[in-house]
Amino acid sequence: MTRHGSLRVVAQVAIFAIVMFAFISPASAIPAFARKYSLRCTACHESWPVLNDFGRNFRDNGYQLRLGRDDTVTADPGYWPVAIHVAPSYVYKKVTNQATDQGNKDLGSGGVADAGMDLLTAGVLTPNISFLVVPTGFASNGNVHLESYWAYFSRLIKNSDWFNVRVGQFEIDLPASSHRNLELTDSFLLYAYHPSVPGGTNLAGYDMGANQRGVEIVGHDANSLTRYTATIFTAHDSLGSANGFDSPSFYGHLQKYFRFNDGPVSQAEVGLWGALANYPTQYLTNGGVPIAGSGSHLQSSTRYGMEANIWFGPLAAPLHLDLVYGHGSDKKDLFQGTADRSGSFNGGFLEAIWVPRADLMHWSVFGRYDLIRNQTQPLSTAPSNFNDQNQWTVGAVYTIAYSIRDEVALHAEISSDKAKGVGYGGLDQRTDSIMFGVDFVY
Amino acid sequence: MFYRVAQSILLLVGALLAGSAVAANTGDVKTGKLVYERYCLSCHGAQGNGQGEAAEYMSIKPRDYRQGTYKWRSTPSGSLPLDSDLEHTLLNGLYGTYMPTWRALDERSRRDVIAYIKTFSPRFGTEKPQDPIIIPPDPGYSVASVARGDAVYKKYNCAQCHGAGGQGDGPSAHELKDDWGNGLVPYDLTKGHVKCGDKSTDIYRVFMSGLAGTPMPTFADSLSPVDAWDLVHFIQSLSPLYAKNMASGETGGAR
Repeated sequence: MTRHGSLRVVAQVAIFAIVMFAFISPASAIPAFARKYSLRCTACHESWPVLNDFGRNFRDNGYQLRLGRDDTVTADPGYWPVAIHVAPSYVYKKVTNQATDQGNKDLGSGGVADAGMDLLTAGVLTPNISFLVVPTGFASNGNVHLESYWAYFSRLIKNSDWFNVRVGQFEIDLPASSHRNLELTDSFLLYAYHPSVPGGTNLAGYDMGANQRGVEIVGHDANSLTRYTATIFTAHDSLGSANGFDSPSFYGHLQKYFRFNDGPVSQAEVGLWGALANYPTQYLTNGGVPIAGSGSHLQSSTRYGMEANIWFGPLAAPLHLDLVYGHGSDKKDLFQGTADRSGSFNGGFLEAIWVPRADLMHWSVFGRYDLIRNQTQPLSTAPSNFNDQNQWTVGAVYTIAYSIRDEVALHAEISSDKAKGVGYGGLDQRTDSIMFGVDFVY
Repeated sequence: MFYRVAQSILLLVGALLAGSAVAANTGDVKTGKLVYERYCLSCHGAQGNGQGEAAEYMSIKPRDYRQGTYKWRSTPSGSLPLDSDLEHTLLNGLYGTYMPTWRALDERSRRDVIAYIKTFSPRFGTEKPQDPIIIPPDPGYSVASVARGDAVYKKYNCAQCHGAGGQGDGPSAHELKDDWGNGLVPYDLTKGHVKCGDKSTDIYRVFMSGLAGTPMPTFADSLSPVDAWDLVHFIQSLSPLYAKNMASGETGGAR
């Protein structure tokens, strides 16, 4: 069977599975915030886990509704701030032009993925001091780590929403959250991409989508329609520099939402964002091994760009389009002497989420197209389009049950990624994947 | 050319998604149903009867919309509320209950869900809301007004339910039920916030309109505006938050 033929069969199976799962009866369990406030997941999520306006405002307010029932004393005594999220799924993945000892091969493999579990614990310790801790892992390798842990201090100056502080490890305030996206089989190329030298390495491991350790200042108006964040953090995956704030890195984001009381467009948003991550390029060593926290000669990896969101139809059941553009550059010394100049690229994505009004919130249809175009290759002799990437993902979620206690959904998606010149012998490499499974939180 | 094509596509997509056209200031019932299902249904129920899946776990039960009786109104006792009254509750929530503020929702969603909520009661199809209660200007918070308000509090026997100290612990506090037979606890006026709004006019309005569906009656026929404002100031003096925010020397009546 050809590659296209096998994918067609798997796609047919996925469609059949979606149709069958649509008739499964509801289930129920206990998620944390839904139980605490007696609100369904749909109150805060446009389509779980993507936040809507109410959810964004709730998060900006430190997970408080401010009606005298937020903290551990005034909340319902039955409230326990823990939820569990697991997504068992079948995934089939095929990679072309894979270099092997046996030569150029196309490799395809599928199975039920080795799923992990998120333990989501979050709440309000005392009025205007909230927290989130997320141990994650628990897969067959036995590893567990804290994906997030932070404390959030709200209204620190004159009871104003314009100055709140978050301390810990958290996802920076991205144009579109990579922890709250609907797609499960791909990643946002723009966030993780770095220019590279063929066969070489880049010291900058900065993935904007990865959680960072640092301090974030958040400010917003009463409804979070105008908001900013400013973050100082230690660059992701750095061994650490000899500074008071090691591998010091910065991120800023400014957003403004506009609402329209009539007409097909109900809401629009524009934003600007920028990041400057600094990585040490030299270390003291012991036995040839770099000593953590001894790094020096910081070199920067910069990202900046803009975003635009638009919502068609009612916000309760919208077609939501999200367009993000970014420019990135990595300094020459980050390439460890294998580059003869700094590297730069342009990239972005267009994401669409549609919640059909005919069957409110049970269905969500989504898709995203990611694009990376290198502007300056760090090795001047490399092909100008080396590692240019195109990626698309389409999928659908059918929520079997959403209640004040749980959410359980069926999820299917197809994704394809094509990268120029990174495969065997400099050929293009294509990665196709198909996934369907159950996604539940309780 | 490209601009025209793009504009046409946007308009077409928008028209398909927006469904029926919505005139300004008039909610769309069909869209309001979507808003209701997303945000309100878990407490107020699919039939608007206040028996959503969360209701049985709540000490203060969600409102049953079918009778068209609403606690917070600007209209006289017995009247339907104005749309602006319903929006006031959406914007401010009800402190101490599970009803949050929906201020983060867009105006269009609020407008639509109000239109839908009104469909639960046939009264909205046959009756018109009466004119709002006229609230005279607040003469101003003062120690003397608080002292007079204390006397009004005693005269009208507010302590029977709310307690001598305003803590909701009066002799009748544990016998109260709403129109649906659910037990009620009188509001603790010393908590720092007033459920139906902290503004002076919000408190005044409660005295004059009552809280429909609860044992809190209207005093519109017996309470003079002067006495009502004194009572407002006395209630405010019970709140540590309000008293703290008053200018020095004006909080002598606070207990």
